[in-house]
Amino acid sequence: MATREELGDFLASTERRAFKQAVFALRDDDSALDVVQDAMLKLSEHYGDRPAAELPLLFTRILQNSIHDFFRRQKVRNTWVTLLSSLSGNRDGDEDPLETLEALHGTEAAESAADQAERAQVIRIIEEEIKQLPARQRQAFLLRYWEDMDVAETAATMGCSEGSVKTHCSRATHALARALQARGITL
Amino acid sequence: MNDVELAYRIRQALNEGAERLDYRVAMRLEKARRIALARQKSPADTPVWIPSLRLAPNSGPVLPDESSSTWTWLRRAGVLVPMLALAIGFVGISRWHEEQDIAERANLDLAVLLDDTPIDTYADQGFGEMMRVEQGM
Repeated sequence: MATREELGDFLASTERRAFKQAVFALRDDDSALDVVQDAMLKLSEHYGDRPAAELPLLFTRILQNSIHDFFRRQKVRNTWVTLLSSLSGNRDGDEDPLETLEALHGTEAAESAADQAERAQVIRIIEEEIKQLPARQRQAFLLRYWEDMDVAETAATMGCSEGSVKTHCSRATHALARALQARGITL
Repeated sequence: MNDVELAYRIRQALNEGAERLDYRVAMRLEKARRIALARQKSPADTPVWIPSLRLAPNSGPVLPDESSSTWTWLRRAGVLVPMLALAIGFVGISRWHEEQDIAERANLDLAVLLDDTPIDTYADQGFGEMMRVEQGM
């Protein structure tokens, strides 16, 4: 089984990427933190006695399931909110993409060096474009190229065929290339 | 630039982005990690099935080797003795009830024989009850 140190090292090495993946999907820092914390607890409580080698795949699946669970809960909640807001006559559409963009700009720490600022800008644009990808494409792209999963593991995690994974990854990569080119970003 | 190369460069940018996390977020992640580690499941947490009347490991006094015939006999006795006691108890209660019933009927018969009660009285539903009440007084 994984020792406490091994589990701690694994979580430390993966928690930031997990948080970013949750942010890309949920578009909200606090919700993403809740989801990552939930996934960490599930891994530790239910699979803490598994070998260390099994932890990455287990955690990835738990995280993806936690994100799906969040969307399911949000869908139910939104149904009630829509129902109640229609009764109380509040304004429609409580999510403005520009607000998210402004918030991201607002949280950026000022950096002195011009190249660091420029690099940070590029990273932020890339992250924004990844958020804009369709959910399945984004999931396939991140699991395959960021989490270093092979096609079979990605397919198993996503619950689809290997061919679908390849298609999603290819489309995601082309969409990102087009979007970045349109914004004048060259990597 | 081909797809894999582009993906690799995007991956580098994502890694950099992950390293530049807000301090508040990094702190919350660290806290979540500590909470998770404190609740790590260990093999000791897994429930182990222990047969009835068998002591859990490392609890209680040191017992003889489980494979020895003495220990096997004691284990069997641990099941058989309570069951035997239960059976004896049931038989005892049954016999006691039986004797009580016999004594009650004998008293009733004696009362009828010693008394000059009319014969029609014996067919009365409440006669037995009356005799019981009288005996109780």
